[in-house]
Amino acid sequence: MLSADAETVWTCPFCPLLCDSLQASRQPGAGLVLQRGNCAKAQAGLGRFETSTVAGALLRGRPAPVEQAIAHAAELLRCSRQPVFAGLGTDVAGARALFGLAVNSGAICDGGPALMQSTRALQDRGGFATSLAEVRERADVLLCLGSPPGERYPMFDERCALQPDDARWLVLAPGGEAPDYFAPVARLAALLEGRSVAAAPAELLQAADRLRGAAYAVVVIETARLGPQGALLIEMLQRIVASLNRKGRAAALTLGGANGTGTANAVFTWLSGLPLRTRLGPQGLEHAPLAFDATRLLAAGEADLLLWLASFGSEAPPPATHAGTPRILIGHPALAAEAADVFIPVATPGIHHGGHLFRTDGVVLMPLHPVPGLEGGGPQGLPSDEAVLRQLQAALQAASQAASAAQEAAA
Amino acid sequence: MTRLLIRGGHVVDPAHGIDAVQDLYVQDGRIVAPLPEVDETVDATGCVVMAGGIDMHTHIGGGKANLARMLLPEDHRGGSLELPSCGTCTPGTLAAGTRYVEMGYTAAFEPAMMAANARHTHMEMGDTPVLDHGAYVMLGNDELFLEMLARGEAYETIRDYVGWQINAAKAMGVKVVNPAGISAFKFNQRKLDVDEAHTHWQVTPRQVVQTLARALKELGVPHPLHIHGSNLGVAGNIESTLQTIAALEGLPAHLTHIQFHAYGKEGPKKFSSGALQLAEVVNANANISLDVGQIMFGQTVTASGDTMRQHAQSGFATPRKWVGADYELEAGCGVVPFRYREQSYVNALQWAIGLEIFLLVNDPWRVVLTTDHPNGGPFTSYPHLIKLLMNRGFREEQLAKLHPDVAAGAALKDIKRELTLSEIAIMTRAAPARLLGLRDRGHLGVGAAADVVLYRREDDMERMFSTPERVYKDGTLVAKAGTLVAAPVGGTHFVEPEYDTGIHKRLKRHFSDKGLVNFDHVAISHDELCRCCNGGRLLPAACFQGEAT
Repeated sequence: MLSADAETVWTCPFCPLLCDSLQASRQPGAGLVLQRGNCAKAQAGLGRFETSTVAGALLRGRPAPVEQAIAHAAELLRCSRQPVFAGLGTDVAGARALFGLAVNSGAICDGGPALMQSTRALQDRGGFATSLAEVRERADVLLCLGSPPGERYPMFDERCALQPDDARWLVLAPGGEAPDYFAPVARLAALLEGRSVAAAPAELLQAADRLRGAAYAVVVIETARLGPQGALLIEMLQRIVASLNRKGRAAALTLGGANGTGTANAVFTWLSGLPLRTRLGPQGLEHAPLAFDATRLLAAGEADLLLWLASFGSEAPPPATHAGTPRILIGHPALAAEAADVFIPVATPGIHHGGHLFRTDGVVLMPLHPVPGLEGGGPQGLPSDEAVLRQLQAALQAASQAASAAQEAAA
Repeated sequence: MTRLLIRGGHVVDPAHGIDAVQDLYVQDGRIVAPLPEVDETVDATGCVVMAGGIDMHTHIGGGKANLARMLLPEDHRGGSLELPSCGTCTPGTLAAGTRYVEMGYTAAFEPAMMAANARHTHMEMGDTPVLDHGAYVMLGNDELFLEMLARGEAYETIRDYVGWQINAAKAMGVKVVNPAGISAFKFNQRKLDVDEAHTHWQVTPRQVVQTLARALKELGVPHPLHIHGSNLGVAGNIESTLQTIAALEGLPAHLTHIQFHAYGKEGPKKFSSGALQLAEVVNANANISLDVGQIMFGQTVTASGDTMRQHAQSGFATPRKWVGADYELEAGCGVVPFRYREQSYVNALQWAIGLEIFLLVNDPWRVVLTTDHPNGGPFTSYPHLIKLLMNRGFREEQLAKLHPDVAAGAALKDIKRELTLSEIAIMTRAAPARLLGLRDRGHLGVGAAADVVLYRREDDMERMFSTPERVYKDGTLVAKAGTLVAAPVGGTHFVEPEYDTGIHKRLKRHFSDKGLVNFDHVAISHDELCRCCNGGRLLPAACFQGEAT
């Protein structure tokens, strides 16, 4: 009576707005296209799916049966002293499975630098958040850094009922890049705290007035654009929100957590109690948001295996590793082009099967649906990342048991 | 499945008036009549045998809990880390389930599920091992409900909307938090009394509470309206609480974490206990049930949907950080870390007020034992709380350590009552089961689910209730001497009241106009609920038939 109709509802998994007003379909010979709605990001995401070519597992670049690939990956994991799991491009089901594998292998899991920035800011100061429908309903001033997010998030204006060049935008450091943001944000925060700011430019004074006069000011924070000291910027922006909330109303909308990273962070947090950049070691949990950076760990030789999970195909490429560091890549068939000891192609949540992803505001957990005709992994019969990860965990447990049995026999 | 005999235990089963040494037989996960032969006999001599504990108000799943975890990595440092999950006031779901089971609890209910966050809430509870679970969906601050009320729409329309929302979110009941106040805060209103109008919608908390309580009764939902009242934590808020009870006009309702709503403003510090006033009214109004929300000294975190009040309290945050949020035209949340201190007059009195309420309300069937985890303190403090309630000497010893004005002046020091084992069994399992409409839980009668706990009898009640000898969940041994031995996936309790689906058209328009989630995406189907909850059993509770008019 109340079940969602998977035939007519689709959720686009290619950006954290997770729009469910679009519809994708499979065109014979033409791959996947956007049948309803218009979004360049969705089109680009769909364009990466070629449903006719064969996609199979690879062992050091050579085709191999998937069972053999999984067994080899399990052996690599068993021999690793400190594996690192990154990419984390999956949905709730995949993240649940990845957690089990991480516990079994004592892995460090990293959702990337942008996610770390918002985690750090939250842990240091907290913040005040809002969600898409609240922005649409209430925002009368929207503050952003550099430029409004529309070019990076093509559906943002439609979701928030904003016109192109909407007069409600207040753009700080227009056209600027991350390093330019610190001075104007710090000075604006000081003005709103009622401190005197020497030689404050007229635009900044006006900006402070507009924010103070707003019924509901929204500060839009794009975590991926804030640079290596982004946590400090987020803290300052949250200080602006807190100052405004003393007498009026304001809140921050975070845009980030794309390609499943926000979802993996939520799942790992609820299961373990700690967010990402945590080591699930045999002695317990260790959370180190700065130290447990996958790229740094691999470069410094502090991790000796990379497991990269990227099932959406829209993730960044995997990080570089030293020669001889095993690489296990699980994800979109196009990852086959990357160097790897083991590559296992998997289905994509929201394309080949259903699932769940957290929206950018972290409150709505959106259901995903397969594109009609691609259910169950499409014509290539791709397995879900969840299934592969669970098989890998079982293989790892079996390999560990066999190894300790062999050790006992030898002793 | 094996046939089990639990022999010679002291069975405390207040639902059947049993408080005596008796044998208990279990087959296929149920309590059964005596069997001629069994496969296993457990010697329960020297043990107290009770049904599994049920926590009807504990913030263990969903958005707020997860924000609290992200906010407070401090909670996870040090201590034992034998599990890949840790934390005390913000435990991971794996740790929460384990700790609950090790204490003899077999069910827990998340009291503040946002509809927009319902899938997430069910996911977390599905990842909480062993425990059966369910959640109350929050209503009464959603703009659609307030708009319907403001426009004076037909009551039946509002009732259908409530019925739809419960079905869509797969909820066990409805909770209202600071009626109309969370919404009012979005319009920059900082306070809302029971008869004060919402600045935008011009409706009052009284109207919200009345409408929701009536709707739930007519929909036949077993658990009546779960109310987190107006003015939480404010000195003098006993007035709001009594006004809320009056507003119900005899309709059944459950007032939650009532300790936070029972403050007078007498005395030199303008902060006093309203427990006696409250108890008198509750004793005289059989339609009212409570859970206490006892505070416990030490570090915790307060996680609430009450954005208005949490913002007001955020200056007290310890450590100095907090998270707030406005969400999806329906609710919000505020997460404020807090340390309750014995030498704080206010905290000490809050502690005394909670205990006074437990001891002054006559009918234990209407007072449920909670700390509003983690708001008053972590649920792991329940054994300590039980000792405070059962042992007057221990209670007075603790009281003497507190702020001197409280130690000397609290009404608590003159209360002689010590709760009995049977009363504790009521407050921790029998009453919550009855208040939730769980017919086969919270008791040990033939046909009941075999959620059974064996506590080794000790003089120290805190020790006794901390580490039961054995815990059975649906007949399976899940914990032994305080250690988890099996982790089956728990089931999901929910209700599915009937309503007129004619409301769907209206709702579809609203969701589309407001840029909310596609209406066809909102309702959670049985299949999806099962996937969210990790494949656990679905346990729909029956609604009362023939109540709707």
